[in-house]
Amino acid sequence: MKAFCKGILAAAVGLLWCGIAVGQAAADHPDFSGFWELRYDSFNVPRAQLTPQAASADMAKQEENDRLAIRWCDQLGTPALMAERQPLDIRQSPKEVAIVAHPNSSVRYIYTDGRKHPDKDDYDPTTNGHSVGQWQGDTLVVDTIYFNDRGVTRLPGGGIRTPDSHLTENYKLLNNGQNLLVIFTWEDPKVFAKPHTYAYMYYKVAEPGMPRIYTCTSGDKTRANFLMTDPKPGTGWPVN
Amino acid sequence: MRTNFCSRSLLAAGVILACGFGVTAQQRVQSKAEVDITGLWLVQDPGSGSFGAFMNGVPKPELKPEIIKQNEEAAKHIEENIFHNLEDHSGCTEGGNFPLMMASSPPLNIVQSKDEVLLASESGRARFIRTDGSPHVDIHSPSYKATGFGDSIGHWEGDVLVVDTIGWPQRMCGGRTPYLETPGGGRALPTTHLVEHYEVSHEKNDTFLTITYTWDDPAVYLKPHTYSYKYKLLPGAAPFESEDSQRDASYQQRERTSVIAPKQQ
Repeated sequence: MKAFCKGILAAAVGLLWCGIAVGQAAADHPDFSGFWELRYDSFNVPRAQLTPQAASADMAKQEENDRLAIRWCDQLGTPALMAERQPLDIRQSPKEVAIVAHPNSSVRYIYTDGRKHPDKDDYDPTTNGHSVGQWQGDTLVVDTIYFNDRGVTRLPGGGIRTPDSHLTENYKLLNNGQNLLVIFTWEDPKVFAKPHTYAYMYYKVAEPGMPRIYTCTSGDKTRANFLMTDPKPGTGWPVN
Repeated sequence: MRTNFCSRSLLAAGVILACGFGVTAQQRVQSKAEVDITGLWLVQDPGSGSFGAFMNGVPKPELKPEIIKQNEEAAKHIEENIFHNLEDHSGCTEGGNFPLMMASSPPLNIVQSKDEVLLASESGRARFIRTDGSPHVDIHSPSYKATGFGDSIGHWEGDVLVVDTIGWPQRMCGGRTPYLETPGGGRALPTTHLVEHYEVSHEKNDTFLTITYTWDDPAVYLKPHTYSYKYKLLPGAAPFESEDSQRDASYQQRERTSVIAPKQQ
């Protein structure tokens, strides 16, 4: 009888522990939802170590390509949208995380529902690639492949995004959720002699004013002049 | 002694279990989410034959006579290839077209977070529905910049997301008409109010989202206009980045060189 009562007691404790564990698991991950901006002290970007081929590549041409992408309102893609100075809007659900930038760019989707990258033949590469994320404790580790070579392709610290690029990111909240640390590591055997890692520290801010996204107008002549011609003080530049 | 031990043990077990239910119930309440509408949702067209037929194949709205007349004139202009918006971009809204987006074939890409629901068109950016209890922004303030998506706030009524949208633009820059057209020939104007109900259902192995739209505006409608679209969840799917002009190098070249380059000074 005593053993029976001990058993009941033990079972009750066990049930209590299980219930708390299950409940805790459901609310386990940090929530990155909110508005995050970069400030003057947000950047830690070492110089990339490039392959000889990449180091000797025509960077003037890359700069021109990027400038044309901005001038013609192309989708900017990653990493450009992550470096945007207007606050990023991050929306997190249990199944995926969306990152919306102010300028012209597709939304980044990071799938956290356990899916893997699709087969290469089943996915059309994008300027943001295909991203899947896994939680390691309080850190969201994101793996991205299937980039294309469109949009703004130059990377912070050197190098460019190519269809062979592989990006790993670590997202972690700091300072009681007031900062979001993102560590980026790019790998591409044709571009980097060793993986290129840099970090941004975002600051949490209130919802920005309207409009929340910027509509790019390629027909804006002043804008086109500003981006594509040399500054000329005292001439009325860049107005035509 | 044994009886006392057993009594105390049973009492303790009861207290522990009661506390456990209390704690986990609270955690269930805290972590209880409303229905999660996150995912890629494809609008279901039962076979309209064309996008125009689908978008306008809704119950016919009761429109004010002047709106009907305006629609007839617009139809005539379209037949005559007269467009309104190609050159004059002064005082108009560039971005977004809510009615078009909600009826179009690119799937709706929805991410539901704690305080906001993002509702995008496949890869594109789009609507933000605030669900944090905040009211509408002041749409009459000079700092308010209307987009083709208005200002949306939402709340849950049981398993149904109810969204309220105001702040539509006066004039659109792009499109065949200078105003934002709604299905059936209506308008979304600064005076217009939209209420949507989002409801998930399951049929066999598929999940559907039915969105019921009710447009109300005494300047446009004789009575509120209601219709529904049904969307099917595409589990595991990823959005397509539709930038056709960037995909075809020769098309991009033609597009870029068809505009006279800015003068060098």
